[in-house]
Amino acid sequence: MLSPERRTSMAERRPSFFAFQQATPLLVPHLAGIEDPLPEATPENVDVLIVGTGIVESVLAAALAWQGSNVLHVDSNDYYGDSSATLTVEQIKKWVSRINDNKIPCYKNAKLYASNDIGPTCKYKSRSFGIDLSPKIMFAKSDLLSILVKSRVYQYLEFQALSTFHTFENDSFEKLSNSKQEIFTNDTLPLMIKRNLMKFLKFVLNWENQPEIWEPYKDRSLADLLAEKFKLERPQVFELIFSIGLCYNTDAKIPETLQRIRRFLISFDVYGPFPVLYSKYGGAGEISQGFCRSAAVAGATYKLNEKFVSYNPETKIATFENGSKVKVEEKLVLSPSQAPEYSYNMPEQKYEVHRLTCIVEKDCSEWFNGNESAAVIVFPPNSLKSGNQEVVQAIIVGSGSECCPDGTCIWYLFTTQQGPRAELDLDAALEAMEISIIRESSVKIPQDESLVQVSEDGHSTINSFKLGQSFKEYVKREKVQFLFKLYYTQCTMVPPFNVVDPSLFMPSSGASSKFIPSACDNNVIYTAMPSSEISYDEVITAAKVIYEQIVGSDDDFFDIDFEDEDPVTSSNSYGTSRAIQYDENAIEDEEEEDIDMDQGDKDGDNSDVVGKLEI
Amino acid sequence: MQHGIKRKQWTKELLRHKREEDKKKIETYRALVEQMLQFRDNNNYSVEAMRLTTKVLDINPEFNTAWNYRRDIITNIGNLIDEKFWQDELKFTMIQLKRFPKVYWIWNHRVWILNNIPINQLKMWQGELIVVNALLEMDARNFHGWHYRRVVISNIEKLTKNSLNKQEFEYVTSKINKNISNYSAWHQRVQLITNMLSNDQIADKYDFMNKEIEYITNAIFTDAEDQSVWFYIIWMIKFPIVKELLGQDGYSKFLKELRENAEMINMDELEFSGKDNFWCLKIILEIDMIQNSFDNLTDRSVFKGYLEKLIKLDPLRQNRYKYLLSKLS
Repeated sequence: MLSPERRTSMAERRPSFFAFQQATPLLVPHLAGIEDPLPEATPENVDVLIVGTGIVESVLAAALAWQGSNVLHVDSNDYYGDSSATLTVEQIKKWVSRINDNKIPCYKNAKLYASNDIGPTCKYKSRSFGIDLSPKIMFAKSDLLSILVKSRVYQYLEFQALSTFHTFENDSFEKLSNSKQEIFTNDTLPLMIKRNLMKFLKFVLNWENQPEIWEPYKDRSLADLLAEKFKLERPQVFELIFSIGLCYNTDAKIPETLQRIRRFLISFDVYGPFPVLYSKYGGAGEISQGFCRSAAVAGATYKLNEKFVSYNPETKIATFENGSKVKVEEKLVLSPSQAPEYSYNMPEQKYEVHRLTCIVEKDCSEWFNGNESAAVIVFPPNSLKSGNQEVVQAIIVGSGSECCPDGTCIWYLFTTQQGPRAELDLDAALEAMEISIIRESSVKIPQDESLVQVSEDGHSTINSFKLGQSFKEYVKREKVQFLFKLYYTQCTMVPPFNVVDPSLFMPSSGASSKFIPSACDNNVIYTAMPSSEISYDEVITAAKVIYEQIVGSDDDFFDIDFEDEDPVTSSNSYGTSRAIQYDENAIEDEEEEDIDMDQGDKDGDNSDVVGKLEI
Repeated sequence: MQHGIKRKQWTKELLRHKREEDKKKIETYRALVEQMLQFRDNNNYSVEAMRLTTKVLDINPEFNTAWNYRRDIITNIGNLIDEKFWQDELKFTMIQLKRFPKVYWIWNHRVWILNNIPINQLKMWQGELIVVNALLEMDARNFHGWHYRRVVISNIEKLTKNSLNKQEFEYVTSKINKNISNYSAWHQRVQLITNMLSNDQIADKYDFMNKEIEYITNAIFTDAEDQSVWFYIIWMIKFPIVKELLGQDGYSKFLKELRENAEMINMDELEFSGKDNFWCLKIILEIDMIQNSFDNLTDRSVFKGYLEKLIKLDPLRQNRYKYLLSKLS
């Protein structure tokens, strides 16, 4: 049974989008909705059992289902998304208490404050909020996006543009000038800096072919290359490394960092004048759901509330908590976050991602560009009071994303700093954001005492006294009103850099062949927990590595032939019927709010082409 | 070609398949053309003939004879024409333009319709401005679009008796800001400035010119490899009115600073990549030749050095450089 306390599902929101597309014949059958009555019984045998509906597992499930494998995809939660889920405030409360009861592996140190103003009869409803456990942004030119288009999962989703990247420097937010137009029209940049910046931007688009420029710096950091070879000054160096490259510290190595900077630049103007997209109604949770839906269309079976307990590699029988069993002919794939007790084969999750998620009672429109409702803020090393050594990144999501009600805004802060220091950095970044938004917004917020009262609803784990001193200080200032504040630490085996490297996701050969008699997870393939990476860059790599392990090669990964696709030689190159279909007014149409993926796909088909970018 | 649109890759098999398809198309087309020409020779100005031209033009909008015949039909068909007919005709050209934005005859036909259509002229041309805005949004460097824009604007100006130069100047600036390498926009800028100056529409001309100098300085530092900017700069240094407005001192200062900037950029390029930027060298040559009559060149050896470099860097114009070199010695 689905939880009554949940966000409106994708299937409910967009029941059958195909109905509107009568022009193209229906190839994908109508989806009754994966939310329809779930099968009561578990199938007796399947090719692959996937445990956990996080984004990597969901992509994998869809890829395998379309390849023809018989997939059973289960999740112990009563919602989709697992470690990538988008949850309501009430769902977060339960999630936090389960973490603190040590019931969810890979998560720790969860602390939550939720205002009394969120509740069934209060100003804000819990369900009006969609809070991402792994907030991410998507580059317009990325492998996930190509797969979204290829698999047509994008049709389930709605995307919005994000073009604002702020760098926090000298106590203020500097806006990025990263396009030729911005550099050309910027009247504060010195002329020679303009030239040097442009020189670098041109170089980085084609860095592989110019080793003479970067190879001498191979063992040094990008900062050295930028300062010495391109004569760029600190503000530009920081902007390139931290806002555009989205790196974590000044040691960022060449050529990985060049790759990251290019990722940003080539994503510009693929779908419009912005590099990044995010999905409406929630991030990774929404995309996971989309892939699950696609997998279901291809025949995968879904079961929520199904807790995996153990697997016997000899009989190939997987057992669930409710006693049901399934024979797994090929492989069992398991998310570390759903690993049962006695999972002795689980890879060490040694990297910490520290997160702080806040909901503020402020629309924060000052930070957004035009009618967008999201932004990224980057705090470079040593820019904060805490003397941070690692970057703090923040994704700001406003109400236009339908993830929170009007007049509120979600701030997702996270850092790769390991250990207890991280929380100090997150607090310092939060304070800087608070000061900045107060300074930038001229409108005074009405003060409301009840808003900031401590929530005492009996859940000891979610009381605000756990938040420590810092929060009380904010309360006294009564400026930015926090409706919600959540600290947690997530662990992962994926290091915080170069996450497109497949070897990071290879199940260590030792672990899969090792047999530990008392373990319940022998011969199980583990997926990777989300890394600290701000984008979805690792998702496809991680899913492909496992896909290849199961299928033998990744050649047919999402090799789906939708027959209604136009053949290459279009038969209607002069057909009058086609000409008549054109709408005379189409040229005058106002720009649509949602981004049309088909449009971008046409020029974006060849991922090697960077020529479109006007730099 | 259209800017920013990739060419299709053809494999052998696809090509063969395409040829077969093409063969059928060509047969159909030939038959249609033959029939149409017969109709024309019989002075057939019927609805049927009109339909025939539609079919032909739909396949081949480059066939100007068909457009001419179509106009003959329209003028001769008489009372069958109502407003809806004209609107459909506009629609037809729009559909064709979307498929073939660079065919002269379609643009030509559209202008002809607009000049003959019996509706509110001003409203109509203002509608066309929206159309051309949208077109230039899709391809900011389509010179047909820019030409059409001039037609539209001059018609609006005629009807309202109001100059749109200032507005257009801002429009052009915004297009250049978006993409410096827009020859059409730079060209339009020249047209507008000349026009504004001769109609006395610039309040402080000296100030205006200095802002223009600042603008191009920004442009060459942003992208010194972009020749559309250099073309514009050559216009600026050679156009008499610029000199007139800046005054002899201002003009000399402009040339001196431009020369210094070009030298600085070239030095920087040499240091970075070991190569000269030949546009910088060219502009230095131009400036030197303006400032000193050719026979009085102050520093002949430097000048000679630049010419020798240019012979290698800009081989297409090597004979001109060789000629200058021979004059020098």
